Amino acid sequence: MDKFKVTFYPDNKSVEVIKDTSILSAAISAGIYLKSSCGGDGVCGQCKVILKKGKVLSQPTGRLNPEERQRGMHLACLCEIQSDIEVDVPEESKLDFNKLSPQELELRLKGIFSEPEDVEAGVPGLKEPVFTHSPLAQKLYLELPPPNLEDKVSDLERLHRQIRRALNKPLMPNITSSNLANIRILSELLRDSEWKITVTIGQRTDANEILAIQPQDTSSKNFGFCFDIGTTTLSGQLVDLKTKKILGTKAAYNKQASFGSDVITRIIYAREQDGLEKLHHAVVDEMNEMIRELVAENNIDLNDVNCITCAGNTTMIHLLLRIDPTYIRREPYVPTANFIPVVKAAEAGLKINPHGILSLAPGVSSYVGGDITAGILSCGMDKEEELCMLIDIGTNGEIALGNKEFLVTCAASAGPAFEGSGVTCGMRAAKGAIQKAKINPKDFSVEFSTIGGSLPIGICGSGYIDLISEMLKTGLIDKSGKIKIELPGLVRNTESGKEFLVVEKSRSANQAEIVITEDDIENIKRAKAAIYSAAAVLVRHMGFGFHDLKKIFIAGGFGTFLDMKKAIRIGLLPDLERNRFIFVGNSSLAGARSMLLSIDAFTESEKIAQMMTYLELSVEPTYMDEYIAALFFPHTDLNRFPSLKL
Amino acid sequence: MAEEVLIEKWPGTVSSVTIGALKNEGGSRSAIIKVGGQKTLPFLFKEGQIPNKPVVAFEIWDISPDDWHPELIKEYGTSLKDPVVWAEKCVNDHKAELLCIKLQGAHPDFGNKTAKEEAGLISQLLKKVSVPLIIYGCGDNEKDNEILPACSEAAKGEKCLIGDAVQENYKTLTAAVLADGHNIIAESPIDINIAKQLNILISDMGLSLERIVINPTIGALGYGLEYAYSIMERARLAALSGDKTLACPFICFIGQEAWRAKETKVEESQQGIIWEQVTAIALLEAGADILVMRHPKAIEKINSHIQELFGS
Repeated sequence: MDKFKVTFYPDNKSVEVIKDTSILSAAISAGIYLKSSCGGDGVCGQCKVILKKGKVLSQPTGRLNPEERQRGMHLACLCEIQSDIEVDVPEESKLDFNKLSPQELELRLKGIFSEPEDVEAGVPGLKEPVFTHSPLAQKLYLELPPPNLEDKVSDLERLHRQIRRALNKPLMPNITSSNLANIRILSELLRDSEWKITVTIGQRTDANEILAIQPQDTSSKNFGFCFDIGTTTLSGQLVDLKTKKILGTKAAYNKQASFGSDVITRIIYAREQDGLEKLHHAVVDEMNEMIRELVAENNIDLNDVNCITCAGNTTMIHLLLRIDPTYIRREPYVPTANFIPVVKAAEAGLKINPHGILSLAPGVSSYVGGDITAGILSCGMDKEEELCMLIDIGTNGEIALGNKEFLVTCAASAGPAFEGSGVTCGMRAAKGAIQKAKINPKDFSVEFSTIGGSLPIGICGSGYIDLISEMLKTGLIDKSGKIKIELPGLVRNTESGKEFLVVEKSRSANQAEIVITEDDIENIKRAKAAIYSAAAVLVRHMGFGFHDLKKIFIAGGFGTFLDMKKAIRIGLLPDLERNRFIFVGNSSLAGARSMLLSIDAFTESEKIAQMMTYLELSVEPTYMDEYIAALFFPHTDLNRFPSLKL
Repeated sequence: MAEEVLIEKWPGTVSSVTIGALKNEGGSRSAIIKVGGQKTLPFLFKEGQIPNKPVVAFEIWDISPDDWHPELIKEYGTSLKDPVVWAEKCVNDHKAELLCIKLQGAHPDFGNKTAKEEAGLISQLLKKVSVPLIIYGCGDNEKDNEILPACSEAAKGEKCLIGDAVQENYKTLTAAVLADGHNIIAESPIDINIAKQLNILISDMGLSLERIVINPTIGALGYGLEYAYSIMERARLAALSGDKTLACPFICFIGQEAWRAKETKVEESQQGIIWEQVTAIALLEAGADILVMRHPKAIEKINSHIQELFGS
């Protein structure tokens, strides 16, 4: 078979591929990640590259304008390589994988993680359930009595006996073959260390397992990681399992975005040749990188990291474990597993102590994953007497309703608009994103503030909420989201409708105008309608009204900057007293950390997953009607938003 | 023992819309039409007041409707060539109380008549006939935004009913109707939520809800009649339950839909007349207040049907 060399500039990275491979696949093999939200179907037009040398067979596309064609631009996914080629990758085609700056990180995790003490004390405004400190990987320092003629119990049984005494609970002696290595070295180790050893115990709900045996007292060196594996963002924390202290937090974009921006595209991609492998590596490599960096920054030996907990949606967990996710998207939508038993972290490709374990927050169904279980755990909804709701505003908005008696969830596909995707000047909540805005009702000038206080680059989800709310308030748009005022210079007509100038060229970071178009408003309107209507249907399905909700927990990447009043004005959230809303930020990561630090929390999460029932909205007859009614600012039924009248 | 009939009392009232202005009201009509005002579901006279009868409007065009069924063309004859003659024929020969002039000829694909031409036609019509007028655009948003304001101005003070305003295009027409003292037709695609949204948008511009007539969009018998029926029923129930934003009378374009049915296409067939009647009767029961129809025979039947229902 013909093989050709592909060289990518400016990175100067080369890779050898077989004939007819697409430039997009070649780029991924070369470790160059191109934007490609459609996953290589030639639809999104983001993977633009310039062919400098060589021959390709390219399929026709309407995604390139004549000027771009003249420059030799092609869509990487539509070009099959026919010779050695050289390709230029423009900056705008690259996925931005730079690690989040500490500033962005702080903002992203603000509210719950800025002060580790806050976490221990609980999320403000709610009684966070307190779990006994009993990390999933525990280190016990033991001084064993040496054997003598009266006490001739074998070395291993001696060890078990001592552990049982130390733990003060029965130990299941299930030392599996994987731990044979531990048994082989046991006798020598015990005698060399004069019977003073440290054992690492892995805890499961119903079993304990010896993970490692080390000479002398190393019990102060026991660390773990918790991760939130989001469709777009990965967040990880290094935790001292002995002191419960958070030693460091990192976040990075999920590199799987290169294979499609939503879970469905990625599930489809997993069926392609090596697709699953590539998706798996994209996430695992990033996690290993975070682990490596955090361990290095804290001068910790990788061998002292004994445990990882992960919370993520069902698809993300499948891909992390390299389990084929195909059946998640096929009727009747059954995943391989919702409850995945504790596995060796090494088996999943995660580089910590070779005996270290990986625990996964249990999921509920194909579209309600461990992230929501972890979220409920962290806000303690399952312990509440009163009726509560958890709304996780993300690409797949998840909503849970209940209290200690019952829990019901549903998933609302809101789309990525609130995450700054699919909107003209949208961006993620990062430095330079407009996050707050105010429009002067006299001259319609916009006052705004950006994340990090720098010059504006684009608009993030909370910025859109603020802007649209202000546009409604000042009468710039009507209740259907159409611009209704003529403002020379500020409101302009384009082929696809009107647009409003938010920031002129000279005031922006990239010397590019920042605008909000009627299409953008339409996208946000659909996203907010999906979330509101899902919540409304769920509440009514259970025979309640919104007024019955005593607490509403708002989770999600941008939740910390969310202006409640404005979110209500656009009809994203129900019109209730502001003090019923509680921000919980990244509740999924908080839940994963609770599980890492306490077997009780982990057991609780299993209980939560078991007690949760799933309401499939697509078969709920009233959903479509509710959705259409919610496609209005704030809602077609104004009686539902009494505080906004007049 | 006689069974006791449960009487339902509704808190809401459908708003009452007046079409046409008399000479002393700033117009030049010889009579005016009132629709709406019901306090109950259609024809449940025992449960609440029904002050106004449903009314039929004759549909006429500004151009000769060459693709109409031979039955219709035969009925109107050469009058079809001149909208004013056609209008007079409806009033004089068929006792039309209300006319609906559809400005089809303004459509870019059907003659592309100018705003000036159409406004001129409206002035002519108002001069030659004295019944109230419904002015109906060609359906092309851009073109309607040119012709309808001009027609509205030409008919200033005559309290016409002008349409359609749709969700994507309601501002220009609303502004014109507001300025010239007319009523507006708000069209929604068989969707109660959009009907309500559009009414809110229009009333947000300052046109009171009492000047809006809902065009719920309908389907003829066999072509989605039941969807239209249930949407109208739901909207009316909401109105009677107190939802003011849905408490507007309905206008139903019966003729246009009925004559589209495949069954009416057969040459020398009376099916179309029957189709128009059946569709109209069904939608009267759903709450239709204004029926825009085509065939005089069908209209005659429906008028007598309405008389019978009202017991006179």
